[in-house]
Amino acid sequence: MAALRTANRAMFWRILRRLFGANPGRLFVMLLALGAGAAVTAALLNLQVDAKRRLTTEFRAFGANVIIAPPDGSGAAAQGKTLPESDYGLVPTIPVNMGGKAASLYLLAEARSYGSTRSIPAVVVGTREEGDASGNARFSWQLSASISKTESNCWVGRIVASQLKVNTADRIFLKAAGREETCHVWAIVDSGGTEDNQVSVNLETAQRLAGLPGRISLIQVSIPGTAGEIERYIAMLQRRLPDTSVRPIRQFTEGEAKIYNRISGLLTATVGIVLLLTGLCVMAAMTNVAMERKMDVGLMKAIGGATRRVLRLFLAEAALLGLAGGAIGAGLGIFLSIGLGKAVFGVAARPRLIVYPVAVALTVIVAILSAFPLRRLASIRPAAVFRGEA
Amino acid sequence: MFLRLVADSFGRRPRHKLLTGAALALGMGVATAALSVSLDVGDRLAKEFRSLGANLLVTPQADSLPLEIGGVDYRPVNAGAYLPEADVPKLKTIFWHNNIVGFSPILEISVDSFVEAGPPTYSRFVEPTKALVIGTWAERQIPLPDGGTFTTGITRANPWWQVRGRWYSDASQECVVGAQLAARLGVTPGQSLLIAQPTEWIKFISGGDLPAPARKLLVTGLLETGGPEDDAIVVPLVIAQEMAHKPNEYRKLYVSALTKPEDDFARRDPKTMKPDEFERWSCSPYVSSIAYSIQQVLPGADVRVIRRVAEGEGQILTRVRMLLWLVTGAALLAAALAVGASAAASVIERRTEIGLMKALGAGSGTVGFLLAAEQLLLAFVGGGIGYTLGIILARLLGERIFGAAPEPSLIVFLVIVALAIGVTLLGSAIPLHRASRYEPAPILRGE
Repeated sequence: MAALRTANRAMFWRILRRLFGANPGRLFVMLLALGAGAAVTAALLNLQVDAKRRLTTEFRAFGANVIIAPPDGSGAAAQGKTLPESDYGLVPTIPVNMGGKAASLYLLAEARSYGSTRSIPAVVVGTREEGDASGNARFSWQLSASISKTESNCWVGRIVASQLKVNTADRIFLKAAGREETCHVWAIVDSGGTEDNQVSVNLETAQRLAGLPGRISLIQVSIPGTAGEIERYIAMLQRRLPDTSVRPIRQFTEGEAKIYNRISGLLTATVGIVLLLTGLCVMAAMTNVAMERKMDVGLMKAIGGATRRVLRLFLAEAALLGLAGGAIGAGLGIFLSIGLGKAVFGVAARPRLIVYPVAVALTVIVAILSAFPLRRLASIRPAAVFRGEA
Repeated sequence: MFLRLVADSFGRRPRHKLLTGAALALGMGVATAALSVSLDVGDRLAKEFRSLGANLLVTPQADSLPLEIGGVDYRPVNAGAYLPEADVPKLKTIFWHNNIVGFSPILEISVDSFVEAGPPTYSRFVEPTKALVIGTWAERQIPLPDGGTFTTGITRANPWWQVRGRWYSDASQECVVGAQLAARLGVTPGQSLLIAQPTEWIKFISGGDLPAPARKLLVTGLLETGGPEDDAIVVPLVIAQEMAHKPNEYRKLYVSALTKPEDDFARRDPKTMKPDEFERWSCSPYVSSIAYSIQQVLPGADVRVIRRVAEGEGQILTRVRMLLWLVTGAALLAAALAVGASAAASVIERRTEIGLMKALGAGSGTVGFLLAAEQLLLAFVGGGIGYTLGIILARLLGERIFGAAPEPSLIVFLVIVALAIGVTLLGSAIPLHRASRYEPAPILRGE
């Protein structure tokens, strides 16, 4: 009995080998269909996971989304209240290209251009920044050819520049409460926002000018993440900096959350659609195969093969094909998504290992499901097939 | 005879035709849905981005340098220039008026404020709370040149300004108070707030009537913005104008406009463009060309692009659009493959029939023509049904994701029908080509 079963199993695999070997052209077409399906699936899944993560980073183009200020409300900066600069060090560093953090000190000073006696009051901001916390990269910059090595450098807003009649590489004087500083204008910036009305210097210069060494007005943080992640981050910061008020900039956190939900919903929907279509495509290819197999099935049945065993044979074939196609296709797809990620976001999508087994499993499932048309083989009557009727 | 053959083929094997037709309809339906959603998505997303608020700022050209720290302008009221409020509705007369989704003029002054609780006593007036007053429109109907009206106001321009309670009505003595200021003042909706410019209190404290520029305003709601407005009092524009002695004038105008992401062409200086380039530039809704046309209708105004918002929006929009086109391309390709494969299957099935026809003397051309006619008929029917299905699917998707269904468009219909025809013909061409090389005899023998 056991010998018979072994023989049966040996025969099963032998027939399977024959099925693969019988028509290499067809095998190639099936592998192509399954492999292409797996490649599209893997590429899209990988891209989708990556795109959602990347989107929250893209939103950093809008600048800071979290602000840390003295506790008495946002007007505190205006009322001259400050924080110790050491608080800035307590804010965790944000990975490069994913946002940033900046400490700023605001003060009012008299600004005057070199060689002019007329001075106008202007807002001076001293900033110490890591990464792009305030989205400054989006502004339109008019750069000077040189950066001064001997005195401090500053950039001025477009309106300040036009009122002071200064140009890049000029010098300006800043005066507040008897203290005076000079700086070299290395850029003029057009932001459309409040930066147009400011002179931006480094933090130390502003602290010297204001007579507030080691003090800052506020800290801006630009952190990628979904709405929930940002909320948790704010709670964490508040625990770490209990003497401050940490709050989201709602203009951006809310808008971003809304847009993020829309875009990720859209991505999920379209990826779902493509997966459905890919499944359909594979199924159509498999139906073809089933049609061609009528003769084989008729013969097997004629010499006494039970329908169940015949079906098992074809299912095993489909599963093996799915595995092979999936393994090759998913690998290709992940490479494809790296290229696509580069095309869309300018940064290669990071391959996610989890996507690979998921894509292979999906392909095997689709392959087995698309063997569904084979069910019709059960109703084949061998005699009719041989007569060429069915 | 030709028609009879075609009709016979459909009548004899209805199940087969139904299956191929269903595969076609399904594939084309999904392709339609993907295509209509992608076509629509740019506009929808551009609208969503308006929840980030204004992307254009209008200020007086002759203005002095604003001294703004933490959202509070330190200039005295009489410094700097103002713009006439009467000009604001002209925004809806520019070429791109349909792209302007909201705007609201703003006039800021700083005041002393306190809650009215019980009869005034000297001690309460010694230390009134300093606060910023923002005068703006809560909701305003702007008559349009075509006879309709356009509703705008600060909530259209800055949608993240949320009020607990309700907004004031523009014609009444009401206000909303920033949440943080309200907590400091201890004021809740329903109470009244007294505000006046610092110098005006003296007469009042020494026993006179409430001075004319002082105001008693009913608090209708608490404002939460997460910005400096949380420390401010927002009042109808007309009240701020009266208190500042600047009737019918404003200082800042925030405009929220639907724009097309800027490319290299859009960033060029319009002054250096040739006439035809300038025309192309001003006929594209770039944020800079909208700024330019606003500048034309508001004399004395300086229109600036809020770059942080506009550029960030442009970048994200471009990327998302690209991503979606890519995915849609994949969907169309997959649909084409699926439909092509099922068309191929339907031809392979009929090898015997083809063999018979050829044995009876039909040329490859006639056979091909016959089969092509059948497939075309199927493609029309399947493509049509698929389009209808796809539109329904797109509606469902659009409503789930954006809360609004995409408009069915003729372009999508044409593309889908063309795709269905192209794909079925191409799918059947390959097996037909192979079949034409077969000798009839072996096929008929079943080999």
